[in-house]
Amino acid sequence: MAETGSVYDAISRRRFLKWALGFSVVATIAGVVVPIIGYLWPPARQSSAGGGRVLIGATKDLPVGQAKVLPVNDKPAIVVNTAQGGIKAFSAICTHLGCVVEWNQSKQIIQCPCHDGRFNPTTGAVISGPPPAPLPPVRVAIENDQIYAGGA
Amino acid sequence: MQKSTSLRPTDWINRLIDWIDVRVGIRQIVSYALHVSIPRSAHTFYLGGITLFFFGVQAITGILLALYYHPTPEAAYDSILFIMNEVNFGWLIRSIHAWSANLMIVFCVLHLLRVAIQGAYRPPREMTWLVGIALLLLTLGFGFTGYLLPWDERAFWATTVGTEIAGSVPLIGGAIQTFLRGGPDLSALTLSRFFDVHVLVLPVTLAGALLIHLLFIHQQGLADPEERDE
Repeated sequence: MAETGSVYDAISRRRFLKWALGFSVVATIAGVVVPIIGYLWPPARQSSAGGGRVLIGATKDLPVGQAKVLPVNDKPAIVVNTAQGGIKAFSAICTHLGCVVEWNQSKQIIQCPCHDGRFNPTTGAVISGPPPAPLPPVRVAIENDQIYAGGA
Repeated sequence: MQKSTSLRPTDWINRLIDWIDVRVGIRQIVSYALHVSIPRSAHTFYLGGITLFFFGVQAITGILLALYYHPTPEAAYDSILFIMNEVNFGWLIRSIHAWSANLMIVFCVLHLLRVAIQGAYRPPREMTWLVGIALLLLTLGFGFTGYLLPWDERAFWATTVGTEIAGSVPLIGGAIQTFLRGGPDLSALTLSRFFDVHVLVLPVTLAGALLIHLLFIHQQGLADPEERDE
């Protein structure tokens, strides 16, 4: 009896509510302040678009005459294994209106699905269609049968 | 006199406030800023306050976004990607800025509707209403200029269309369009202009108009909707 009484004395309802309110206020402030401080702190990677190179995959997974479209430093790129020029990579953003280009397996060309712009997979040059400029090349490196794209 | 050993933190804060109060009368200023007379029948008077809250959110998140945003055609979209993908909580800050922008306009309009429906714009509160309309236009200006800043296809063409609408005004339309774009076409100059207006001109103007709006409300108190039919 005396014990339970002492427990109730130790944490009165008023005191409990004060703690609950204080905790809510502190948690709310922390929920606002923590993201802001995290945001102000410079991110680990210094830049995105000019960032490091990205591992695309093994050379055996990309036989001659095939291509892959995949993100390289947050932007779509097309990596193609050409019969004439070996493995090449280009920005996959069509220079016409910014659609993401595709690989046309039967015609062996890079083709934009929006307005049928066609590009040479070896040079990135425009074959036909509305694009005003060739696809910008993306740097490719092959080390230990692994394909890397992007980077300086 | 004082038993300084028994002073609690709140006592120190009170003494600091007293020190300021003796010199500049801070308690009176704060009391004026905090207290406004509100009629008992008030049930819908929070809409302007919510709009004010969203403006505060926009100011804080906007200042944060300006840390990483680059207002040039070459770098603008890349800096947006950087904020969204690399910066800690960047996605959160930018998303809050975008959502809060939309909600600020929504509550601005709801606030306007409430004032219109309850007839709170009537004498002697016409000036508060007029400043309020200016605040709505400034808020829409924020939306119009902010929409271009990501510099993606949607932003580019939305601003192309928006400035062409301005260009359709009789006689002076062409001049307005050239002035808005900073040239005959959308270019780097347009982006500089919109950025400048979005982060310098509009915030200062809106803050000033907001102070006047709030000053009027504090001078007059809020209108009583039950007194409308006299």
